[in-house]
Amino acid sequence: MALMEVKELTMLFGGITAVDHLNFEVEEDSITALIGPNGAGKTATFNCLTGFYVPTSGEILYEGKSLVNVPPHKITDRGIIRTFQNVRLFNNLTVMENVMSGCHSISKKFVGSALLRTPSERREEAEIKRIAEEAMEYIGISDLRHEIAKSLPYGTQRRVEWARAIASKPKLLLLDEPAAGLNRQEKEDLVTLIRRFRNELGMTVFLIEHDMGMVMDVAEKIVVISFGTKIAEGTPKEVQDDPLVVEAYLGKDDDEEEAV
Amino acid sequence: MENKNNLDLNNGEVAVVHEGTAKRGFFTRIIDSVYSFMDKTHNKIIVAVILLAFVLTVPLWADNYILQVAWNAMFYMLLALGCNIIVGFTGMVDLGFAAKFAVGAYTSGILVHTFGWNFWLTLPIVVIVGMIAAVLIGGPALRLRSDYLAIVTLGFGEIVRTVARNLEITGSASGLSGIKRPYIFGTQLTRIWMWYYLFVFLVFLFVVASNRVKDSRFGRGLAYVREDEDAARAMGVNVVKFKMWAFIVGTVMGAIAGAFYVMQMAAVSPNSFQFTQSSNILLAVVLGGMGKVPGVMAGAAFFSIFPEIFRSIGEYRMLFFGIALVLVMIFRPQGLWPERRRR
Amino acid sequence: MFSPGEIILQQTVNGLILGCFYALISLGYTMVYGIVRLLNFAHGDIYMVGAFVGFFVFGALAAITGTGWLSIILAMVAAMFLCGVLGFLIQRFAYRPLLDAPRLSLLITAIGVSLILQNAMMILTNGEFKFFNHSVNPRAGISLGNVTITWIQMVLLGITAVLLISLTWFVSKTIWGKAMRAISMDRPTCRLMGINVNTIIGITFFIGSALAAVAGVMACVYYGNVHYFMGYIMGMKAFTAAVIGGIGSIPGAMLGGLLLGLLEAGGTQVLGSSWKDVFAFGILIIMLIFKPTGLLGKTEVERM
Repeated sequence: MALMEVKELTMLFGGITAVDHLNFEVEEDSITALIGPNGAGKTATFNCLTGFYVPTSGEILYEGKSLVNVPPHKITDRGIIRTFQNVRLFNNLTVMENVMSGCHSISKKFVGSALLRTPSERREEAEIKRIAEEAMEYIGISDLRHEIAKSLPYGTQRRVEWARAIASKPKLLLLDEPAAGLNRQEKEDLVTLIRRFRNELGMTVFLIEHDMGMVMDVAEKIVVISFGTKIAEGTPKEVQDDPLVVEAYLGKDDDEEEAV
Repeated sequence: MENKNNLDLNNGEVAVVHEGTAKRGFFTRIIDSVYSFMDKTHNKIIVAVILLAFVLTVPLWADNYILQVAWNAMFYMLLALGCNIIVGFTGMVDLGFAAKFAVGAYTSGILVHTFGWNFWLTLPIVVIVGMIAAVLIGGPALRLRSDYLAIVTLGFGEIVRTVARNLEITGSASGLSGIKRPYIFGTQLTRIWMWYYLFVFLVFLFVVASNRVKDSRFGRGLAYVREDEDAARAMGVNVVKFKMWAFIVGTVMGAIAGAFYVMQMAAVSPNSFQFTQSSNILLAVVLGGMGKVPGVMAGAAFFSIFPEIFRSIGEYRMLFFGIALVLVMIFRPQGLWPERRRR
Repeated sequence: MFSPGEIILQQTVNGLILGCFYALISLGYTMVYGIVRLLNFAHGDIYMVGAFVGFFVFGALAAITGTGWLSIILAMVAAMFLCGVLGFLIQRFAYRPLLDAPRLSLLITAIGVSLILQNAMMILTNGEFKFFNHSVNPRAGISLGNVTITWIQMVLLGITAVLLISLTWFVSKTIWGKAMRAISMDRPTCRLMGINVNTIIGITFFIGSALAAVAGVMACVYYGNVHYFMGYIMGMKAFTAAVIGGIGSIPGAMLGGLLLGLLEAGGTQVLGSSWKDVFAFGILIIMLIFKPTGLLGKTEVERM
């Protein structure tokens, strides 16, 4: 059974159909990409998967249970973590504190134990710090732990966001246009990193992206949407050769690359 | 290096900085030199020890008037520390913090005065009533945009005052007076220096509580909410629940401060909870740097002592105060003592 | 003495007049909030300043044009203009530098401006009540049984109606009004589209302040006295009215103002006048629980 199944997903904004009866699956341990030209409904789909939007109709199953009408924080509790298209760090906090936020969903202590500073609370704090250190180490940003997030260059902020995501030890990692704004070198690092997330950390990775080059490189399965509906699905090779995809997407790819 | 860091940190305020660059220079330089001094750990310890020694020895030399002012400063610190949880840590706007200490003051005052309770036994009730009040105010407003909380807290402040003025049990417009002062180890707390030390101790407890909250999963969650609600949600923070609990903790702290206040004054009346009180508390937190505990305490001390020092300029003082406030916001919007981190 | 029908009629008239005050003031709140997302704390004090400007101008004119309606109307026009300019200046020097700063800084600045206006006026007037001695008979009017609807009340209702209609026309038909609505939807885009955002924000403050000043002079005429602290509670309730109507919505502010006035008059009749301040905020809280967007407010589509 697939880790996540999207069935007949439909999302309307006023009279505009952003996503139209979309169906696809994300297999466990796979790297799956959802691609499409700008305005194809990628972000709307993504926000439905993460609970930020409530779909108009349709069903999203994760490990056989629905994600529809589940608030974002509960979705995170179930082992799904997302990143943001334009990097949303906690700007005035340090890198360390940002990465510690990843541990939020896997820790429990609340007001009472914070005020009393119980031994179990201190143990949990130590554990959170250890996991955060580990995540920073893994991404290679340990030296920056005391820097203020907003003072970092964009590419580095992205890395902080990845560290924050893996600190939550997710089963499913959802990346929203992870390559946007990165240079060639950073994109190559990203591809390596995504593979390592899957191979070493055992995460299933689902990304939306319009940078075709990178997606072809990293994804094992690609779902292509245009105007909210699926027009192709398959391996990078299959998708690349699909005439519909060429028409809807690849023809415009050059312009878009430049726009980025 | 130091300088470069500043530039980076000010990135977010670039748009603001432009207009005031020339005038900011001097002001900023003074404050930054204070920072670099305070950055060294041993300097920090020296300053802390001197301040503590000063605070503890005030009753040895001060007359009753000064002691009263000092006590009042401690009281303001309690309120500001409570308000700081809501405003500084979580970034919510609370325009009616005075109502929270009114709730504590009346709860304790009525139980002691009318029902003859022992003051210390009223404290658990004060905590419970504070929690209920927080849920009543926060419940409808916290789910909505932040401005609604501002107006609801403001409205609640007026409601509490009007209710207190109109009910028999709260002593109507004249309030309660002649409340019996509590005992501690068999000694009745009648002298101002006793109250001063008691309040210093309470401030200490509140500071410990604030720091514990700040360095906990709960406190970090509040900071995440303050910085970016969507990102916080994505990391698994139940935003409404965290805001609610920040509101509850802040309100209970305010209520406890109010309960002790009413015992020192031995009286309470609706006029103790004017909007001016609420705005002073909020301003102490904001000017103190939103979340920075020592900054908030300094802000509170300033706001309680300031009117006393400037008594001589009489009616002009609030005017100057308003002007100062606007200038500070324009030229240093992150507060006089902003939250900053260094290695 | 009074039949229930007469009481209802009397309170409806009282409520409508009160509603006119709330509506005129809450428009300033709602327009400013819509355009810069600021709870303009100083707006209630603009109303107070308007009342004082009216008072002083009226005093100066009394010798020339008498103490009747002519002077009142002239005072009103002067107050509108001067408060409009005051609102514009406050916006220009206190708020504009902070438009891109955290929202809390802007709110604190507004509190600061409110303190400045209140205390400056307190010093100027020695904190005294000033009495507005016009020669219009406050009791003359049309009698219906025991209830009299005075000329003053009718004129105030008329002035309010004219202003509300003109404002609606301005916002929906003129190029400035359209720019205003556009800015409230998306400020950065408007800047890109070549709309002079700062000018439009300035115009918004001018109009909002001028309307509050009208309410201020109306208060002089209706209540007969002015005081430096009169703006605080009035401002708060007017903001409540704006929230009830749906903050950011101009028809909402009008409706919310009138409704709050009527409800408050009714509530005062039932509960007694000492509870009247609680009443407004009680309604606000009930409103927020059941219809948080206000009567005419739209749900904001959150964009990620």
